[in-house]
Formats: sequence, structure tokens, C-alpha cells
Amino acid sequence: MQKLVEQLINGLTVGSFYALIALGYTMVYGVLSMINFAHGDIFMVGAYFGCFTITQLSKTGFTESNPVLAIIFTFIAGAIGAALTGITIEKFAYRPLRKASRLATLISAIGTSIFLQEFVRLIPKFGSLITSIHFGEKNLFPESWRAAIINVTQTFGGAMVKTYPGILGTAGIKLGEISISYSRILIMAIAIVFMVLLYLLVRLTKLGKAMRAVSEDKETAALMGIDVNKIISNTFFIGSALAGIAGVMMGIFYLQIRPTMGFTPGIKAFTAAVVGGIGNIPGAMLGGYLLGLAEVISIQFLPAVYKDIVAFAILIVMLIVKPTGILGGSGGKNKL
Amino acid sequence: MMKNNSSFLKNILDQKAFRTVLSALISVIILSIPLFNFPQQNLWIRIIGYAGLYIILGLGLLVHVGLAGMFDLGFAAFYAIGAYTCAFLASPHFDLHLPFLAVILIAGALAALIGTLICIPVLKLRGDYLGIVTLGFGEIVRMLLMNLTDITNGSQGIIQIDKPTIFGINFNNSTYFYYFIFALIALLLFLLNRIIHSRTGRAWLAMREDEDVAQMSGIDTSKYKLLAFAIGAFIGGLGGAIFASWQGSIFPDNFNMNVSINILCVIILGGLGNHFGVILGAMALIALPDILRGFSDYRMIIFGLLLIIMMILRPQGFLPRKAPQFEGKSSSSPDHEKEVQS
Repeated sequence: MQKLVEQLINGLTVGSFYALIALGYTMVYGVLSMINFAHGDIFMVGAYFGCFTITQLSKTGFTESNPVLAIIFTFIAGAIGAALTGITIEKFAYRPLRKASRLATLISAIGTSIFLQEFVRLIPKFGSLITSIHFGEKNLFPESWRAAIINVTQTFGGAMVKTYPGILGTAGIKLGEISISYSRILIMAIAIVFMVLLYLLVRLTKLGKAMRAVSEDKETAALMGIDVNKIISNTFFIGSALAGIAGVMMGIFYLQIRPTMGFTPGIKAFTAAVVGGIGNIPGAMLGGYLLGLAEVISIQFLPAVYKDIVAFAILIVMLIVKPTGILGGSGGKNKL
Repeated sequence: MMKNNSSFLKNILDQKAFRTVLSALISVIILSIPLFNFPQQNLWIRIIGYAGLYIILGLGLLVHVGLAGMFDLGFAAFYAIGAYTCAFLASPHFDLHLPFLAVILIAGALAALIGTLICIPVLKLRGDYLGIVTLGFGEIVRMLLMNLTDITNGSQGIIQIDKPTIFGINFNNSTYFYYFIFALIALLLFLLNRIIHSRTGRAWLAMREDEDVAQMSGIDTSKYKLLAFAIGAFIGGLGGAIFASWQGSIFPDNFNMNVSINILCVIILGGLGNHFGVILGAMALIALPDILRGFSDYRMIIFGLLLIIMMILRPQGFLPRKAPQFEGKSSSSPDHEKEVQS
């Protein structure tokens, strides 16, 4: 019993990651009908922004004196870093292709995914590269800047694994036999808060209405005076910010981040979005938690290494049996 | 000025004479490399031979994506199946030592069989969904290779794979593989050219342009899809078997997602649907980074950027497929070429 409950909580924690990332896939699919293949890498970029922030805050001793503020800052940095990455990608890699075939857009997204991974991996190299630019005797940057640039680029990225400082440790609360660590509670709480906020945003605000209109029919929405480009950009901003938050969560929970970390959670979150019904926001949340639980259950019966295979198998079976997902209507009518 | 330049380049690349000269030039260079002595010759043979291997894989994927319009992001799975079949049948691992020609055919046939089995349930899926399913399949195959340690030896891989002997010639250095690979490419190009201009090729073309219309016109799309998947997978399996026997040892990580993406880049750069473009694409993608050794660190990031820029500026590739000219009127319009397929 105790073990079962702990496993369920584990499933819900992992499900929270998937649900948050899946929301980004589903929102982008809603407005653009494209699979944002680079979404998993936006998640990774968010984790790196968070890592950089908390490492710097820990160096100055801020984390010890104000742990709560430090965590909030980390989440904000991760969300904003990822969101800016998201809208930049949309502007330069996807917008020129809006009228092109879906294959061209998907290939561009694959290119973006490779680019982001490699960019984060190579940041320290770029740092030393631009600091070595000089015109004759004179260097492009003054001495003090150069040291700062090298320092920042080396703390930010690189091929090696980066480690989050363990802020929350393994402490937790005990309910009878069952112990739940604070980091799990934090992750589940934050995920649920943001999902509720997103749902309210899409249902109740003017921006949400515009997003729904764009996902329904771009041309008619434009005729009604909606700035379609702005709405798509906003959608990318929100979806990527959620992925960034999930990235920071992943960092806080697993402590280690690497440039390739986005691939597996990305593809699983995509699975979650498909299971719930792609283009459908409550569906993405449901799919995320279902997938998290399915993985935990599969560990009970199969060796743990097979849990990724289970996720892929669910994806394939779902796409074959009901490609519109659990909550998706027929023909993709209930987008967003 | 910019505009003029790019349309000038476009005109040159689309000229038929230019293509003929280019392919003749490339063939002469390729065939003559092992004949002369020059510094680092062995390295060059390996690099160009490796690019040749990617041409084979590219031709296989071209059948899926370029000819039949079935988006495949897991092509490395067939490559892996071919390589592991070769490793099982011709190494001390199971103590089997079948002759190479048998091994390579079994490898291709097995890949084709598995490809067909995978294709049956996903026949209804289109476009990017099919891409994601095949990606999932590719990852499942790699994870199984990694985790079924009793059979595949896991991440330790399989070593000491036999060097092939064909008609009494023992393939004891890379030059033999080099010529074998390019002979196979010539054969495949010939066969593919025959298929493209046959009933099957026309059915694929119709399917790729518009699946519903093709079905309405009486084309059995399921049959032609399965056929395309089987042929593509067969070629992928051949490539895998050659890779395994050339390298002598294989590991699950030789067949990861990046390999699938590299092969995809090869055919996209070359021009989707053009089997000669694949040669140019493979040379550009596989051989160039090896030639520019100093940039090897930046290889993947340049790939990524190239893919994005390519899709925006020239989505039809360096050497695009020529739209077929039917009697009466020319069917190719500038917009037509841009629609790769959805």
C-alpha cells in the first residue's frame, strides 16, 4: 500500500512535467496546425536559464538568505528565457514558412531543434571565439569584459552536465508511512497553478478568445480585426514559458541538466498531447498525467529501462486507434 | 542584386546540361580516387566511401519520403536491422559465418519484412503524424538493441564481424568496400530510374501529389505504400549490412536519431524526389565536414541552420525533381515546385 501510493505520487510528479510541456505542443498545434519539434529543446533552454540564475544567486549567498525568493527568480528566469527563445524561433524559423508545406515546416523545426541543442553545447566556445576577435593590436572587448563574457558563457552552457544546487534537499513531510518530499509537492502545486491559470486565460480573457478564434480559422479571425501574427507570437510565448517552467522543475528535481535533455521529455510530452487530443488544452493535462501514471505502472511489471519503450508504444497505439485523442473531437474541431 | 544572383544560380542548377556535366565529373573523380597515389589516400577513401554509404541510405529514404511521400523519421531503424542481421549471421557472436552475398540479401529482406509490418498499422496516417510514429519506432529499435543484452550484447556491441569474401576476393581493405559501395549505388540508381518510370513510379507520384485523388483514380494506395516502405527498408538494410562488415564492430549508438536526421538532410539538400540529388547531398553533408576537419565541432549547428535556411530559401533542394512534362502543356509552374508535399 505504502509503496503503491509513493509510486502514484511519483507518477503524478513525472506527469506534471509532461503535462506542462504538452501544453506548449497543443497550443502551437492549435493555432498553427504544426508539430513544434523544437519544443523539447525550448524546455531545455529554460532549464539552462534557471540553472544559470540559481548558480549566480548561490554564489552571492542570496539563496541561503532568501531561499523562497531565489526559487521564484529561478522560475521567472527559466520561463522568460524559454519564452523569448520560443518567439524568436517562431519569427525566424516558422513565420517565413507559414504558407509552405507542412513537411517544410517540420524540417525547419528539426533544424531548429538541432540548432538549439548545439548552441547551448557550444556557448563556451562562442564565448572564447568572440573574445578573441581583434583588429590589429586592439581587441574588440576591453579586458574586464572579456573575462566576464568567458565566465558567463562557461557558467551558462557547455557539453558537460550542469548541476543545479540542491535547494530543497530531500526533506519532506510524512503522512503516516508515506513520505513526500517538498520538491514533489512544489512541482505538483506549481504545475496545477499554471494549468488553471492557462485554462482561465484561454477561456475568459480577450487574448484567449483571440487565440481560440485564430485556431478556428486564421483568415476569418484576421477579417474580424485580430492581429494573427501577434496572437501566434503570444501563443508561442505562453507555451514556451510553460516549457521553461517545466525545465526549471526538472532541474530542481533531478539536479542534472544537459543539452540533449529535451529530446525524451519532448517526445513523451508530445505523446501526452496526442493521447489527450492534440489542440485540446485540458486534453494535454489529462494526457500528461495519464502518461506519467502509465510509466510508473509499467515499472511494476517490466525492468525500468523499458519505460521509454512503453511511452513510444502508447504513442503508436494511440495514433493508430484514435489519432484525435481522448478529448479531441472528430476532425480537430475542438481546438484549444 | 541579391535577387538576380539567386535566380541566376537557380537557372544554372536547373539546366539539364549542367546536371549531366556535374554527374559525369563526380563519377570520374569518385572512380579515380583509389587509382592514384596521394597523401592521406586511405583517409580519403574512407571519407568518400562513407559518403557513398549515406548515398545508399539516402536512396532508401528517398523511396519513402521523396517518391511515395511517406514521411519517415526513423530510417536508422532499418539501417540498424540490416547491420545487426549481418553481425548475427557473420561473426563469432553466434558462431555463424554465412557468405556475404547471402548475408546482405537476408539483411535487406529482414528490414523489408519489418518495414512492411510496421507500415500496415500506420497506413492511414499522413504527413507529420507518420513522421512521429516512425521516429518512435526508430527509438524503440535502438532501445531494444541497447537493452536486450542476451541477444545483442547491449551497449558492448558486437565485434569481430567477418570481412566479406565475394567470388574469392577478400575485402581486406577499404578500397574493396569503396568500389563495392559505388557499384551498388550505380545498380540502385539504374533500378530506381526504372521504377520511377514504371507504373509503380507513376502511382507513387500520384499518391505523393494528392492521396485522395490517387485513390479516386483507382490506385491501390495501400499496396503502393507497402511496396514503397518495403523497397526503402530493403535498401536501408543493405546499407546496414555493408556498414557492419566494413566497420567490423557495431554498437546501438551507431543508429540513433541523429543518423535518421542526417539521412533526411542528405535527401532534402539534394532535392526531394531526385535520385541524383542524393549524391550531391551526401557529398555535401557527410564528406564536407570531414574535409573541413577544423570545423567538426560546428558540424551539427551548421546542419541545423542549413536546414532552416534551406527550407526558407530553396525548399526544393539543390537539384529538385523535375515535374513531369505531359503532352500538350507544361505542368510545372514556379509555385508547383515549392509544394514539396504535405
